[in-house]
Amino acid sequence: MGRSLEQDLTENLAAAAHVAVAGLSKRFGASTVLDSIDLAVAPGALVTLLGPSGCGKTTLLRLIAGLATPDQGKVSIAGLDVTRMPPHKRNVGVVFQNYALFPHLSVAGNVGFGLKGRRLTKAMIAKRIARALDLVQMGRFGDRPVTALSGGQQQRVALARALAVEPNVLLFDEALSALDRNLRETMQVELRRLLKDLGATAVFVTHDQDEALTMSDQVAVMNAGRIEHYADPRRIYARPATLFTMRFVGISSELRGTVGARSQGRVLVDTPIGQLQAEGDQPVGAEVVVATRPEHVEIGPAGLAPDDPDVNSVAGRIRQITFHGARTRIAVDVGAQPDFSVEIGGGSGIPGIGAAVRLRWPSTQSFAYLAPRGAP
Amino acid sequence: MSAVAQAPARAAAAATPRRDRRAALTLALPALIVLVFLYALPLARLLSLSLHDDAGFSLEAYGRILGDAYGRSLVWNSLRLGLITTAITLVFGYPAAFGLAMSRGALRSLFLASLFLPLAASVIAKAFAWTILLRSHGAVNDALLLLHITDKPIRMIFTQTSLIVGAANIFLPFMILPIYAVVAQIDPRLTEAAATLGAPPIMAFLRVVVPLSLPGVVAGVALVFSLSVSAYVVPTLLMGENYQTLASAIAKAFLLVRDPALGSAAGAILMAIGLLVVVVSNRLGRASGRSA
Repeated sequence: MGRSLEQDLTENLAAAAHVAVAGLSKRFGASTVLDSIDLAVAPGALVTLLGPSGCGKTTLLRLIAGLATPDQGKVSIAGLDVTRMPPHKRNVGVVFQNYALFPHLSVAGNVGFGLKGRRLTKAMIAKRIARALDLVQMGRFGDRPVTALSGGQQQRVALARALAVEPNVLLFDEALSALDRNLRETMQVELRRLLKDLGATAVFVTHDQDEALTMSDQVAVMNAGRIEHYADPRRIYARPATLFTMRFVGISSELRGTVGARSQGRVLVDTPIGQLQAEGDQPVGAEVVVATRPEHVEIGPAGLAPDDPDVNSVAGRIRQITFHGARTRIAVDVGAQPDFSVEIGGGSGIPGIGAAVRLRWPSTQSFAYLAPRGAP
Repeated sequence: MSAVAQAPARAAAAATPRRDRRAALTLALPALIVLVFLYALPLARLLSLSLHDDAGFSLEAYGRILGDAYGRSLVWNSLRLGLITTAITLVFGYPAAFGLAMSRGALRSLFLASLFLPLAASVIAKAFAWTILLRSHGAVNDALLLLHITDKPIRMIFTQTSLIVGAANIFLPFMILPIYAVVAQIDPRLTEAAATLGAPPIMAFLRVVVPLSLPGVVAGVALVFSLSVSAYVVPTLLMGENYQTLASAIAKAFLLVRDPALGSAAGAILMAIGLLVVVVSNRLGRASGRSA
């Protein structure tokens, strides 16, 4: 056994792991929790399922782990169809919300739990427990009772327990959400580095967009049992495929209007306060929402609209200024509901509340989405 | 998991230990007063009675029980009743507690009612009900005759079997309820965690659920044993005069023979047995459920 756990994990995971979900549906009674989901996770990729509570992300994770069975569709792990396979045969490592550590066992007892009954000698088990604990920097805590650990330490033990069985894929169910903010941010960075070093394939579930953007190679934004957008974090943020994604990840500054003209992936939208240009291909006459990220908007003194077709511009009045440390958010009343959000770095040189201002932002950062019926 | 919530509470407790102790004493005081006057003082009197004869201090009463074959049979009969009843209620009560914990809605209400309602009925009524069921022309024998399983009534009442059946039935809720209380608190995600770590359902049960349920088992065993080892009504009604236990010997010594030293000694022995079981099971419970 001259090999280290790192080597074992790195090679096994990189070679074999690959999670694929096809046409997966799950209903609880009359409500459809997952509606024909397709998702492919590349070997070594860190993927986050991001969405509000009730969007089906935890159910999807449970279906991958085998803790629930789908009504339709297929789950495969490492090239093997595991749809009908019970969880104890799937070789997945799950880090649960609040960790689900065994309270009657020590730290080492928890980490070694999955190694019993695997035809390993006692010495081999002890070695693998020690390695897994070293990976999460908990090497000195082996004989402590888990109930005596802090939240961050329990989190590490839960991770070590999942790593020790050398799983094909690691699944994290809101695993960091119980930690306080500073510790959570440290753990996000540390966990990503560790998983990348190991070459592990992992699926995270979270409702925290910062966590999703920080940790993942790919993000699947979920809503009402469907995947709205599956892409890398930069694209999810910079060019959201749907209005839901635009609104759920980051802040969306929006104006409503009607498409007046369309050409080559761009639309001209007539709004009550002027014409805007945006990326989109909705038909002429369609009701749309034109959305942009608040940090793309420049705020300046009131004046005439610039004579540049690539710049959108509206006039407004400052309603509210909120200080967020490194950035300042300004709500501008542009004569439409809700207020238009602008975000600037720093906090100096902002005109006061009530000041008349002109907003400008590039039309290449404006995206048109079909307006949802009813709600704004 | 619970450690996260416990940490601040523990810190607060450490900050004001004296005030906490005073509050604890104040809250327990009424019950303590009642216990001292109604329990501790009579108990001391009982012990001192058992250690005296007309001449003064003497262990003679203990010698009459433990040094005599009949006396030892009393101890043995009590012990036997306690042990067998505890074993049978554990075998039936353990799965029943899980059934109760897993049931929902109307089924759970039904289960709980069928556990609690019999507790409201007097033990005499329940023991007497068993004598009606088991007597030679009782419901059980009538049914057996009707179905031609037997051609003459089987003797069931006043046998060891009737005693054990009746005792197990009457004391079963005291086994189920403490186990249920513990089992219902076990986080279902722990079994899921065990499954994802490669443990088949039976192993997950044996390695996670059983150890975590032990504090409930210990409490149930202590309760049922201390109740059944000292049972008086059940053996008297279901076995009759020819079967004597420590409990019936106590009654007889005080009420018929008027030998308070003998009755007190029998009571002290019975109490020692019960105390031993409670202390030992408490130890076991603390060891097994230390961190549960």
